[in-house]
Amino acid sequence: MKRVDRTSLVAGLVTIGLGVLLLVDQLGAIDLGFGYTPSAVLAGLGAILVASGLERG
Amino acid sequence: MTAVSASAAAPPLRRDSERGLLGGVCAGFARRLGVDPIVVRALFVIAAVAGGIGIPAYGLAWALIPAENGERLTLPARSSWQVASGIGLLALAALLLMREWGLWFSDAITWPVVLAAAGGALVWRQSVAAAPPRSAGGLRIPADAAGRALLGTGLVVGAGLVFLWLNGALAAAKDVLLAVVVVLVAGGLVLAPWWLRLVRGLTAERAERIRSQERAEVAAHLHDSVLQTLALMQKRVEDPREVASLARRQERELRAWLNGRRESGADSFGRRLEAAAAEVEEDHGVPVDVVAVGDTRLDARAEALVAAAREAMVNAAKFAGDGPVSVYAEAEGERVAVYVRDRGPGFDPAAVPPDRRGLRESIVGRMERHGGRAAVQSAPGEGTEVELVMER
Repeated sequence: MKRVDRTSLVAGLVTIGLGVLLLVDQLGAIDLGFGYTPSAVLAGLGAILVASGLERG
Repeated sequence: MTAVSASAAAPPLRRDSERGLLGGVCAGFARRLGVDPIVVRALFVIAAVAGGIGIPAYGLAWALIPAENGERLTLPARSSWQVASGIGLLALAALLLMREWGLWFSDAITWPVVLAAAGGALVWRQSVAAAPPRSAGGLRIPADAAGRALLGTGLVVGAGLVFLWLNGALAAAKDVLLAVVVVLVAGGLVLAPWWLRLVRGLTAERAERIRSQERAEVAAHLHDSVLQTLALMQKRVEDPREVASLARRQERELRAWLNGRRESGADSFGRRLEAAAAEVEEDHGVPVDVVAVGDTRLDARAEALVAAAREAMVNAAKFAGDGPVSVYAEAEGERVAVYVRDRGPGFDPAAVPPDRRGLRESIVGRMERHGGRAAVQSAPGEGTEVELVMER
């Protein structure tokens, strides 16, 4: 059975999460200000780095 | 029962889950600093309320400080940097989010504090990681650890400068800094001769201590190998073939030791311990049962542990009669322990004459020199248990 690549999985989930947030914002259900963008991007990058580091370890 | 034990190492910083309310971070810090946990908890709560720094700081500490029971995620250097950077980015994201929500104290205070906390954590972590091995007796900081400590120091100093700059106090501080630098240079020039003398004295004392430890190591090795073989040869003087075989094996072992060679295939702690047990069993004709749980690489400290365990097995085989000698070894995480038990007549450890080197030098002394500890529990008629523990 093929082993799950955790880094790709987390990266995919992060991208999907960001996409969903932007979509919901675009539909007007929530109001995401510009100030939230850096937090979201940094959190996504952080999650990918942690997953990648744990995968190597 | 009477017991003889060597000194235990000071406990490093660990999360104290037993006394902790959440993850044991505050309780761990409190135990390390020798203060009441409520003091550290109060500081974290203040930091959490005043700008929210306490929350990511707690999370970071929880992730980086190992738990007390020794479970610890060990990662290669590159991976640990990735994980640390990832956690740093997550903490930064949390801070930015709290800033956006208005849960914020002030930019001029929070960012310097974050920088200083990151730098301080690096310096503190390196100061613990770079602690010299007790067997080396010298202060040798690895280059990468020194680099990280330097980076941490730079972050702390940078945080101070950013704080002064953001609060408009850098211009005024410049004059003070100049005065401090002048005083430091002048003080350095005056105190340099004393400082040099102190450094030379410490270096000489350290060299003498290393020489003394090396002498003790050589004496312990000769006691465990050559002297024991000579004693065996005297016992088996009526069997020339056996005597010749013992002499050949001792010669091979001594040559390998003098040339710094390690026996082939003996790069694991478990295999080396089993080989030592087999040697003792063959030499003394007493069964030695070994049960090993886990294994570890055979470095200098593990070799010392094996040598001490071998000496304990030899003592058990010599003095415990025909009964089997039980050896239980456990290598888990950073702790390696060996227990050697026999059901022989036992003895009073306090009554061992000082000239008997086996227990004092080859077991207790050897473990102490390599940063471990040894405890011997025995009493006449109750058998003997030797406990050897090495924290890595």
